[in-house]
Amino acid sequence: MMQAPDSYLIERPPLKTTLAMAYTLTPGRAAGTFLAETINRRMVGSRCRSSGLVCVPAQDFCPRSGGADMELVAAPDTGTLTGFTATEAGIIATIRIDGADFDFVHRILGADVGALSIGQRVQAVWAETMTQSILDISGFQVVATAPLGRIAPLNEPAPALPSKPYALDLHYEHAFGPFYGRLFDEIGSSRRIMGVRSSSGEGVLIPPREFDDISFTRTGTWVALPDTGTVSAMSVIHLEFKGQKEPPPYIYAEIQLDGAVTRLIHSIKGIDMSRAAELVRPGTRVRAVWTDSRTGSLSDISHFEPIAADDAAGR
Amino acid sequence: MSRHVAIVGIGQTHHARRRTDVSQAGLVREAVDRALADANLTIEDIDAVVIATGPVLFAAVNMPEKWVVDACGARLKPVMRVTSGGGTGLAGALAAYYQVAGGQYERVLVVAYDKLSEGALQYSISTLYDPFWGREFAVGIMGFSAAYWRARMDVLGHTEEAAAMVSVKNHRNAMNNPYAHVRKEVTVDDVMKSRPLAWPIKLLDVPPISDGAAAVVLSSEKMAAKSTDRPAWIRGMGYFCEADNAPARSMLVSEPLALAARRVYRSAGITNPRRQFDVVEVQEPYTCFELSYYESLGLCAPGEAAALIASGATEMDGDIPVNPSGGCMGANPIGATGLIRIIEAAAQVMGKAGAHQIPNARLALAQSGGGWANLRGVAVLSA
Repeated sequence: MMQAPDSYLIERPPLKTTLAMAYTLTPGRAAGTFLAETINRRMVGSRCRSSGLVCVPAQDFCPRSGGADMELVAAPDTGTLTGFTATEAGIIATIRIDGADFDFVHRILGADVGALSIGQRVQAVWAETMTQSILDISGFQVVATAPLGRIAPLNEPAPALPSKPYALDLHYEHAFGPFYGRLFDEIGSSRRIMGVRSSSGEGVLIPPREFDDISFTRTGTWVALPDTGTVSAMSVIHLEFKGQKEPPPYIYAEIQLDGAVTRLIHSIKGIDMSRAAELVRPGTRVRAVWTDSRTGSLSDISHFEPIAADDAAGR
Repeated sequence: MSRHVAIVGIGQTHHARRRTDVSQAGLVREAVDRALADANLTIEDIDAVVIATGPVLFAAVNMPEKWVVDACGARLKPVMRVTSGGGTGLAGALAAYYQVAGGQYERVLVVAYDKLSEGALQYSISTLYDPFWGREFAVGIMGFSAAYWRARMDVLGHTEEAAAMVSVKNHRNAMNNPYAHVRKEVTVDDVMKSRPLAWPIKLLDVPPISDGAAAVVLSSEKMAAKSTDRPAWIRGMGYFCEADNAPARSMLVSEPLALAARRVYRSAGITNPRRQFDVVEVQEPYTCFELSYYESLGLCAPGEAAALIASGATEMDGDIPVNPSGGCMGANPIGATGLIRIIEAAAQVMGKAGAHQIPNARLALAQSGGGWANLRGVAVLSA
């Protein structure tokens, strides 16, 4: 059990975050040609000119020799089952295309896993709608009579697909723990920003933490900080980018709350943004402007706004 | 006692805003082939491989080292991946240096790359912020970097004009670098009038976003002669970190960089960096950082960086040229950038920097770093 000064068990559910990342991936010559040729229902492989070994789907580099001198070839859509497993997403199998020297992974369609056996003949099932992905092959089905195909020269291959959109949606659940837990509980319930005393007792650490970063000893008692502070660094954001929470322009600020010895990152508004650089500078005094919502996060503070230099609690 | 280690081969891609003719693996192969050819070796001569790449979110492939093994000839060799944000290239070289200096291997290949055209850069970088504490306000590291530049203006006099001179110098130097993809001269006025992105950072204070790879071969002293009679000897290398949100962190002078420099200078016998170094390569993610590094690296005293750039001392023909290659302004494939700085410094002392060669360069300094200014390192190379 963590020894947290004056803290208590936190019943907060984890913080849920999502990273929604968009990509344009470049498959390169070999995989790019494979993806460009599925629309023609042609399987493209590659033969390494130094090892003589054949990859299907095509690869830029020989998995055995590391050779980069690869000849693109036409491969059959028939092969042999070399391994399989049943999953919630169906039967996943390793397949050796006729004439290839390496396996690749795909689905088996229309088969009962109990009826499968290694060495069975399989044939590709092409999709109705082509999306220039490996799923242009819907899967493979067992065809006992599938003829033994062979590798052949690839005539007039389509130009390689230069890029392919891709997306990752990554969902996380971050545990608050007793320190962040109490900090955000108190922000949500009583609009108090709580830090802990540094182990030397000189100043308050925010966000609160179990160990002092400098001495690596346990931190001290909890302290409520005022919602006023001083700007230690600021920039005026004009850049627009994916994932941005508010439209520019706004001020990115690192703020030292009165009594704290570490920084809080937030935005500053409530000023004439055309004069932002002159109105807000290191040393500018600011106060938190709270929202009406109580989510128990830093977003319960809408923003900070400048106050008169001699105003409020402070130094 | 550690062994002497030399850089005996260097290679980099012709960097580009976007390469649609090669995958990430293809980029890696180009740099590896060039470094091996430069070292007069084949992959058979390499004992171990270090693969250095930026954050996984840049490229959507987890554990990319397994993917690029075929492309760098690492099959059945000892392989490890090193990643450390912008400092990835230097951290990768350091991992390889330890392996040779410690006597484990005779020759280690390091390849570093990023293909930044493929993902959302600022959004990816913003994930280095604590999800509870500040990530919702993050602007990559640009907002943060601009904020502390603004603070340094007041305390250290790092003006917008001084940073603009860095941009002018590095853009001009990149004109002579065949691997740079931004080759366009700019003026101080152009920089000052360029669009603010995170003021005081403006468009022309910012390097390009690049696809690129870089590779080096590190060799023991015993084996170096097979590759070249003019290697770049590693006289010292270090990479230091400071706490993320600690009370003592001022971020006005880069403390981890000053610490790394102090330690490495001591082991390399550097007592007067400005006089002793013939050339310096720094990784400037924004122009303001080059000013800050002048001070942290001891090229001038804190508060004198603006005067140093204005004096012309860091120009090609100055007494302490910084970034003859053009630095990040010519190309910035982040995961590779630290290794590119080492390659450019090595090329100088090997006498093969071509059109941007500093005559008779014998002692070179390379700098790189990652995180939001908390990880910083240097390498000292000599002829």
